[in-house]
Amino acid sequence: MKKKYLSLTTKKWFQILFWAVIVIAAWEIGATVVAMTKRTPENILPHLYQVLAAAISTKAVSGGMTATQVVFTSASATLLRALGGFAIGASLGFLLALLMKLSGVVEKLIFPYLMLIQLIPVLGLAPIILAITGDINRSRLVIAAILSFYPVAANTLAGFKSVAKEKYDLMYTYAAKKRQLYTKVLIPSAVPYLFTGLKIAAPMAITASILVDTLQGDGGLGCMLSQSLKHAMNIYVFWLIVFFSAFIGIFSTQLISLIEILVSPQKRSASWIGRIAGKEKIYGRDAEKNRTQKEPGAETL
Amino acid sequence: MNASAEVRNNVPDEIVIRDLGVTFQDNKGNDVQAITGVNLNIKKGEFVSLLGPSGCGKTTLLRCVADLQEPTDGDIHIEGMTPKEVRLQHKFGFVFQAPVLFDWRTVKKNVELPLEMMYQTKQQRSERADEMLEMVGLTNFANHYPNQLSGGMQQRVNIARALGIQPDILLMDEPFSALDEFTKEKLHEDLLQIWRKTNKTILFVTHNIQEAVFLSDRVCVLSPHPGRLSAIVDKDLPRPRTLEMKETPEFSQLVLKVRNSFEGGSFS
Amino acid sequence: MQRKIGRRKSLAQRLSENKKVQAAATIILPLLLGILIFALWQGQILQAMFHTDTFTLPVPTKIAALMHDNIGKVLVNTRDTVVVALIGLIAGSLLGYGAAILASMFPNLGKGGLSIVGAFASIPVVALAPVMNNWTRSVSSTASTRSTVAKILVVMLIAAADMGLNAYRGLTELKPFAKDLMATYAAPKRMVFLKLQLPNSVPYIFTALKVSVPASIMTAIVSEYFAEYITGVGRQIRENIVLAQYATAWVYITAACIIGLVAYVILMLVQSLVMRRYH
Repeated sequence: MKKKYLSLTTKKWFQILFWAVIVIAAWEIGATVVAMTKRTPENILPHLYQVLAAAISTKAVSGGMTATQVVFTSASATLLRALGGFAIGASLGFLLALLMKLSGVVEKLIFPYLMLIQLIPVLGLAPIILAITGDINRSRLVIAAILSFYPVAANTLAGFKSVAKEKYDLMYTYAAKKRQLYTKVLIPSAVPYLFTGLKIAAPMAITASILVDTLQGDGGLGCMLSQSLKHAMNIYVFWLIVFFSAFIGIFSTQLISLIEILVSPQKRSASWIGRIAGKEKIYGRDAEKNRTQKEPGAETL
Repeated sequence: MNASAEVRNNVPDEIVIRDLGVTFQDNKGNDVQAITGVNLNIKKGEFVSLLGPSGCGKTTLLRCVADLQEPTDGDIHIEGMTPKEVRLQHKFGFVFQAPVLFDWRTVKKNVELPLEMMYQTKQQRSERADEMLEMVGLTNFANHYPNQLSGGMQQRVNIARALGIQPDILLMDEPFSALDEFTKEKLHEDLLQIWRKTNKTILFVTHNIQEAVFLSDRVCVLSPHPGRLSAIVDKDLPRPRTLEMKETPEFSQLVLKVRNSFEGGSFS
Repeated sequence: MQRKIGRRKSLAQRLSENKKVQAAATIILPLLLGILIFALWQGQILQAMFHTDTFTLPVPTKIAALMHDNIGKVLVNTRDTVVVALIGLIAGSLLGYGAAILASMFPNLGKGGLSIVGAFASIPVVALAPVMNNWTRSVSSTASTRSTVAKILVVMLIAAADMGLNAYRGLTELKPFAKDLMATYAAPKRMVFLKLQLPNSVPYIFTALKVSVPASIMTAIVSEYFAEYITGVGRQIRENIVLAQYATAWVYITAACIIGLVAYVILMLVQSLVMRRYH
């Protein structure tokens, strides 16, 4: 019996289920406690079924749209802009890392400033960037781009630097040209690091986009968030947005992980996709057994 | 046995190493002599081992031949050309100590890598890669990824890749030192078979006396501090070599002879 | 007969191999770039490049002068921000490390639990901060204490997530057979933790701090936007922009950058002191 229990705990779905149950239970307990002591419990910690009810209700909350519709329309606006900034920042970050690898002079010039960007609380500078650019959409792109830029650049550069000396020697013995060195070795080696950077940058770009919404109301998620908070709108819109933002933040990271597995074939063997496709890892002894008789005059050991 | 020695004497020298020396500067700026005063002539089609403990300069010597290291003194000529010219003509096959495979490429694509640099067509590359994989016995694993293979198999891919460009000279830097005894023996036989079939000149670096004696025609013993060539031991063990030869008294005597020609310190 | 090989290296190649030149260049080149940027800024060319004016983007000397005149107020706000970031960082890191210890004791479920905590950290600050504000409404009667607690809670969550994940790796990714070694000494669990796992986790602690220190500062600043009580460097930036007092806003931006810089330098110093044994 104990063995069965222990083997169950190793399954990933069980772990997720276990913790989901605990989180939900804690939430509900908290909500019940709050409901007993507060006048307006929905503001602090509503019951989960209340939130669910609000999500599926068809009651018009604002401008003829239901709560869920409000969330989704404002979300699409915010996310689209976040995506734009993310794409720009990530591309620029990658290019800069490439440039820094190509030229030692550029690397020495830029490296301290790259460090500096990380230390400056860029999100905190959102209002001033808005003031400088004057246009809310452009400022959103700029901030999301700056936030995406650093993780991608730093991680990609680390990826370039991680290439072992033997690989350089190998290409040297093939009299490879610089272009071949980059396209065949350096860039593929940096891909895993690039994805690490992307996983960090994605939630930040989303956060930046929502934050800029709060500064100037024009219908994004952040705008709806502050409006519903001040009770200009149903409080459940607030909670729905909170849940949705949390979900989007987590989902974006998982999405990038998924893309990475699709793009990097060597990772497929180690993941669940590989298991479905039948590409398992082959260890020593089993590998020997898999050899056929085609080997030149071999003795079976 | 004498006949083969005579045949060897009539074959031209392929690699001529004269007075080779390499001096490094350590962190404090002092001169460290990795190797000094090496004179060695290697004939076409010969299997020569460079044997010695760590620090005797054997890898440095090999890298000089491959144009991965510039010598401070002396020179090397390979059929009259400098190592750089030979490298640019893709005439070397270099087998590193570690497999140095690209994780993101399948086994077959790894073998095709040097062929891509030589601008062969897709058809040519594919055929040559298949040929090489068959020679090392990994045809069934052509579409696997390196991280799915064991150490011995990865090293065989390494060898297949080096052979793919059909080089005249194969330079091998302790290729089997990280493998277990059983895999090593298997790969020794495979290597000798490939050598018999293709007749390449092989320069083989190792720190294992038995391996050197078993595989090669001549064993060049190097000693450290400073790195230098202490002795060249010619061997008359008949070919083809089989595993049983390792049990014969002639083999043990040769091993002893090699060991005794090593100067200075213990042979680790 | 020794023969030297003639070497013909270009000036660029010789420069790139000379260690002293390289070391000097690492410092001189960025310094030159910094001076260039400063000159462009002071000379108002930077403003022209960004299509803005000296009202929105004042020259550095003006910002410095203004900061000097208002140093008292600046320090008060800086103090408030730093207090929030620091307490949140320390409390969150301790919490995260504790969670990692618990997780390492129950490896299967623990890893999942830590992933959940990590997921919480992906939640945008902008969603967390208002929630925390609501939760702390009854904590105290003074607005300033309530706000401070709310902000600290948000920072704590981020710091805990960072530290937890990294500490877990530090506690569990041991050298092969290290635990077996301790077993041959019949070491009690407490000893295994103190002598093996804890020292092993120190480099990972610093990896976490390298991320969580800037993140804590940034989170503290952003959560100030949503706080009830108006204080803190970030809030001041926003308030002054709303009032179109851009020069003052830039004073606070500079303060924010200085906080980040000083924190990083302190972190680097502490790291080099503590990690001396690990090299």
